Amino acid sequence: MVPVLVMVFAGINASTDLFLHLWSTVLPQYLSNTLWLGLSVAALSLCFGVPAAALISQTNIFMAKQLRWLLMLPLAMPAYLVAYLYTDLFDYAGPVQRFLREWFGWQSPSDYYFFDIRTLGGAAVVIALVLFPYVYMLTRTAFENQDRNLLRASRLLGCTEKQSFYQIALPLARPAIAVSLTLVIMETLADFATVQYFAVNTLTTAIYDTWLGYGDFAAANALASMLMLLVLFVVVAEQKARAGQRHQSSRPNTQQELKVLSMGQQVLASIFCWALVIAGFLLPVFLLLVMAIDYADYQQLLSLIDTGGNSIKVATYSATIATFIALLLALFHRLHHSKWRMLPLQISGFGYAIPGTVLAMAMLATFGPLDHAINAMAKFFEFKAPGLILSGTVFAIIFAYVVRFSAIANGTISAGIGQIPKSLDLAPGSLGVKLVPTVLRVHLPLLKSSILVAWLLVFVEAMKELPAVLLLRPFNFETLSTQIYQLISDERLEQGALGAILIVLFGLLPIIFLNRQKDSK
Amino acid sequence: MNELIKIDNLMVKLQNKSILSDVELSLNKGEILGLVGPSGCGKTTLLNTLAGFIEQSDGEICIQREDNSPLLISQKNMLPAEQRNIGMIFQDYALFPHLSVTENICFGIRKLEKVEQQQRCKELLTLLELTEFSDRYPHQLSGGQQQRVAIARALAPQPSLLLLDEPFSNIDARLRNELMIEIRQLLKRLNMTAIFVTHNKDEVFTFADKIAVMHQGHVLQVGPPALVCQQPNSWQVADFLQLGSWLPVQTVTIENEQKLKSNIGLLTADVISNVSELVTNQTTENDKYYQLLVKPNDIALCPEQSANVIIEHIGVTEQGYHYLLNSIEQSSALSFVQLSFYSQQLFSVGSELSIELKGELFLLYPTD
Repeated sequence: MVPVLVMVFAGINASTDLFLHLWSTVLPQYLSNTLWLGLSVAALSLCFGVPAAALISQTNIFMAKQLRWLLMLPLAMPAYLVAYLYTDLFDYAGPVQRFLREWFGWQSPSDYYFFDIRTLGGAAVVIALVLFPYVYMLTRTAFENQDRNLLRASRLLGCTEKQSFYQIALPLARPAIAVSLTLVIMETLADFATVQYFAVNTLTTAIYDTWLGYGDFAAANALASMLMLLVLFVVVAEQKARAGQRHQSSRPNTQQELKVLSMGQQVLASIFCWALVIAGFLLPVFLLLVMAIDYADYQQLLSLIDTGGNSIKVATYSATIATFIALLLALFHRLHHSKWRMLPLQISGFGYAIPGTVLAMAMLATFGPLDHAINAMAKFFEFKAPGLILSGTVFAIIFAYVVRFSAIANGTISAGIGQIPKSLDLAPGSLGVKLVPTVLRVHLPLLKSSILVAWLLVFVEAMKELPAVLLLRPFNFETLSTQIYQLISDERLEQGALGAILIVLFGLLPIIFLNRQKDSK
Repeated sequence: MNELIKIDNLMVKLQNKSILSDVELSLNKGEILGLVGPSGCGKTTLLNTLAGFIEQSDGEICIQREDNSPLLISQKNMLPAEQRNIGMIFQDYALFPHLSVTENICFGIRKLEKVEQQQRCKELLTLLELTEFSDRYPHQLSGGQQQRVAIARALAPQPSLLLLDEPFSNIDARLRNELMIEIRQLLKRLNMTAIFVTHNKDEVFTFADKIAVMHQGHVLQVGPPALVCQQPNSWQVADFLQLGSWLPVQTVTIENEQKLKSNIGLLTADVISNVSELVTNQTTENDKYYQLLVKPNDIALCPEQSANVIIEHIGVTEQGYHYLLNSIEQSSALSFVQLSFYSQQLFSVGSELSIELKGELFLLYPTD
């Protein structure tokens, strides 16, 4: 929190000409782009995620078991990769348009209409294709956990199957849909590489340009504060909207009453779900594989080992620290009796809402002066100046990752600890066992899988994270994501296809693990 | 008689497993039927089949409509739940958590004119004493209030039949009896026909006009509760209703007279009220084993005889001390355990007593 406050303070003091210049020229456009992008991605994710969730959880759609997890896979795909691959595919020089031109004998762009993917709309579609699984997963879980008796009651009160769905199942899933949309909007507002690649200027690209392009740190801070305000607005709006909806807890129903689809419905439903899986995951992976096979060489492999090693190192440190902190916070919340025991958990949860770019600016705003102070102090005591030990090393990246992804680890471990009956906190005491051995012998073994899932989720997010590391990395420090970003910017992804596949593979790990865990239950 | 529902030869199979078979039941308008039986006997499946949530494999359900025309439901003519005009109160009430009390009650009558909806809702709110809670949401109500809302909601569309799935299981034991009487009076006042499921036999005696005892997918016996208690037609019925404890007996012929031998004495065949061949002395076989249903007040202490039972457990009840007795001799086919017996006199666990049968009429069932 402190770095964010420092950033906001620095931003408030930014009365520079550049900021005024931005405000009178491009900033309104950036703001409206940001808002439109957020809204369009939310709307598209809703259109993709909710029907998919309903089809998988409520109908006898063909291959439901496979589609159930296949629909989660797009989450493993970084949006900027899909953006690059689809641009390659649908551009004027791409294979699709080439094929059409050859087939129909068209000569120039004026002979036919073809959509332009490098637009705000294109960016919205691409981002929605990889973010809709948030809506799908949370909504599907909400549908599956609904008390079937509620639907039965509505049927006895005269509703048809369709009416039951619209009047009972959907309204009851509304809180889950709202939470997932908030996540989608937050991720969209935080996106940097996709919009930059598509040349759609939003607040994140503006922050980046202002700092790295114009070197105006204060104005960049002001822009970051603005973005932060926007994210806060989304979070508060979601909280407010949910405040009045306290639903009674419903008992999950194991009895499945699936709607039987007619042949025509079956075909349409399957096309819809498979189109999402193909567009969001299978096609991009296929394109990446083709690239990797065509262009892989020894040099690429060497650089992959180097950057991949960096990525894994940073992600491992971050995941371990974030999981450890989450564990401590969850145990403190569970076992401490103070009135304020919720507070540390809640505060650390804010981090996820802070876009990577904003967080990076906050780190720079705080650690830069701190570094200078440390060096000045070293000089005063006649020690050797340590250099930029906070802002110029991987410390800043790891710190930013921990702050940003703590919420994920907290959520997972808190949910895990919630499953442990309260009586197990007390039982060891009645057997003469003290608090620490109780935690070591009772809570930790029971939390094993939650700890692993939390670690995996943070690890994968850290592997994928781009905007923060782009601003915070020390000189000559490349991770997989920065390398791929660089190659994408130079239109040379072919040379990094192997690394891109590696990121996707890492992204698949938690999905596979969670799916297997669910199956074994 | 005005038969409202008739179930004929109903069969339900789920995943090739027979859940209900040959179910025959009928109920007159305004009657309340209590479906009882051990867990897994098919009570809830029967309710769900009537409601239209489970498809029947065979048999017919005939419900009399408002205009006295029959509504026939068979495998060929499956009607979806919303077209059966049946109301249901679920065990967890299944109130819609996102709707207020009024909205919940009006949910099933939303096709009526607004004025009529309001009128009917107001009547039900008054009838069930819910007027002051009309704007609240289900989570803001107590268990009893939630149940009233569930009843009001089910009654609003004026169903011809009301189904209740273990309606009192979530209610505090102290309030349960009071609530049962109240709801029974309400249903009687509305002349509502109802079928309710429970595994608690005491609820049936308070709530139902008729009782149907189910066992492994079959209806074993149907009738007024008092009659079923007096003449249970199988040991499963007597056992479920906990009408007494079981004493193994053996048929023997002594001096040309058929008698029943047990570990606590001999009984003459004429005290048996339900096995006619014994009474008329037509049994050809001797040494046949039966189970005799013995009620606690059928047993008396007999100090002059040598001890034949040992006290296993003592409980204190309003009727005095409740003893569970085992036969001293535990190695023959006539040995028994946990025979129930009440006495005002206090003995200690492990003491040996002498008892005899003093009842005048007994029920006898073949052993399985």
